[in-house]
Amino acid sequence: MSYILLFFSAMAAQWLWSSQFAFWGLAPQLLLVLTALVAAYRGPILAMCLGFFWGLFLDVSSPHLFGANALALTMVGYGTGSVRRQIDVTGAGSLSAVVFLMTWAYFLLLGVLGLVFMEGFLWIGWPSFLACPFYNVILVWVVAVAPPFIFLGKSRN
Amino acid sequence: MQREARIANYFLAVFGIISLTLLSLPLSGPVRVFKACLVYLSDPAAYRGAKGVEKIADVPDRIRGLLAADIENRLMREEVKEASWARAEAQALKAENERLRAVLGLKASPGYTSIWARVLERDPLHWYHSFMVDAGQKDGLALNAPVLGKGAEGLSVIGRVVEVRPRSSLVLLVTDELSSVAAHLSSSTVEGLAQGQGGARLIMNYLSEDASLTLGDLAYTSATSATFPPGILIGRVARVFPRDPFLTFQSVEISPALDSGRLSEVLILKRQGSP
Repeated sequence: MSYILLFFSAMAAQWLWSSQFAFWGLAPQLLLVLTALVAAYRGPILAMCLGFFWGLFLDVSSPHLFGANALALTMVGYGTGSVRRQIDVTGAGSLSAVVFLMTWAYFLLLGVLGLVFMEGFLWIGWPSFLACPFYNVILVWVVAVAPPFIFLGKSRN
Repeated sequence: MQREARIANYFLAVFGIISLTLLSLPLSGPVRVFKACLVYLSDPAAYRGAKGVEKIADVPDRIRGLLAADIENRLMREEVKEASWARAEAQALKAENERLRAVLGLKASPGYTSIWARVLERDPLHWYHSFMVDAGQKDGLALNAPVLGKGAEGLSVIGRVVEVRPRSSLVLLVTDELSSVAAHLSSSTVEGLAQGQGGARLIMNYLSEDASLTLGDLAYTSATSATFPPGILIGRVARVFPRDPFLTFQSVEISPALDSGRLSEVLILKRQGSP
């Protein structure tokens, strides 16, 4: 039940933030951050499921490719889950580093999918490419003390 | 952990296949309409800017028309906001100009009001010579009224009214052999006379021998023009003729800023005080 609540409230928060409170057109990617957080604390399977459907939501609400965000967020969940098996990613520092790198990986994957399925590389622009990873890292620190984090739990299973 | 990794691989394969299938399949019309409308309702910013309409290129016609009209409407509202400021600024400058002219004892320049008119017909035999417009004496037009067109670079010279009828007028184009406009080039203050040749281009003669002329220079109407207000764009220098030792001036070829053959509406200036 709590995951369903997380699923819908995260979508609402992402939409609200990106459409109403974007700062110079830049907004943190809450869904990406949450996918990485879920993967870090609850494992890749749940993260991939949530990431895939969050991605579909982003695809529906984006004028670009349909399916690109779903694949990219699934990969974020999978990637973070794979890293989790090697190192402890529940620490704030390591989690920030993972989210930072996953953000760039996410952008590059979207770009490559654009290259394959559209006419050219789907480039989000330098401001987003450079600023969003930092924005997301800040969000990691904010979300880590927010209610969704509480039910995710701090213990690794 | 191994079991989790194995299941994760299965999930990755399943979600990957579904995503790639979604990416590969062309979306049906209703799905595209739904997606475009949802995006537009949730975040219209995605469609703002010059490339906004391109993003809905694959949406069926009627919905695309609606969305494109709304995008255009938003862009025009922004333009109107900017224009209202520019207008206020222009009015302030005009008032200041008039005050300074009065202080210096200069004759006040004639003010203009404008009227838009539609191009009624063109004579195929005189394509670069003239066309008829649907405004005439009843709209307050007089002989020699300047006729301008609006293009990407703003207003530019098209011609002048040479025949006024009750509800229509004949416009003689600047490209006609009988047309000539006093003009100056953007890179210098040298004046010349832009003369129609009966073709698509004009020749600007009587430019000073010492003037350095460059391709791409813009030609504007001069303050000494009897017909046109100063500073209206005529065209761009398309060719600089080599200096002729037997002539005391230089010449350039001007490519008009607007192709009169493409115009459907023109702006005609009326001197203030005329009905």
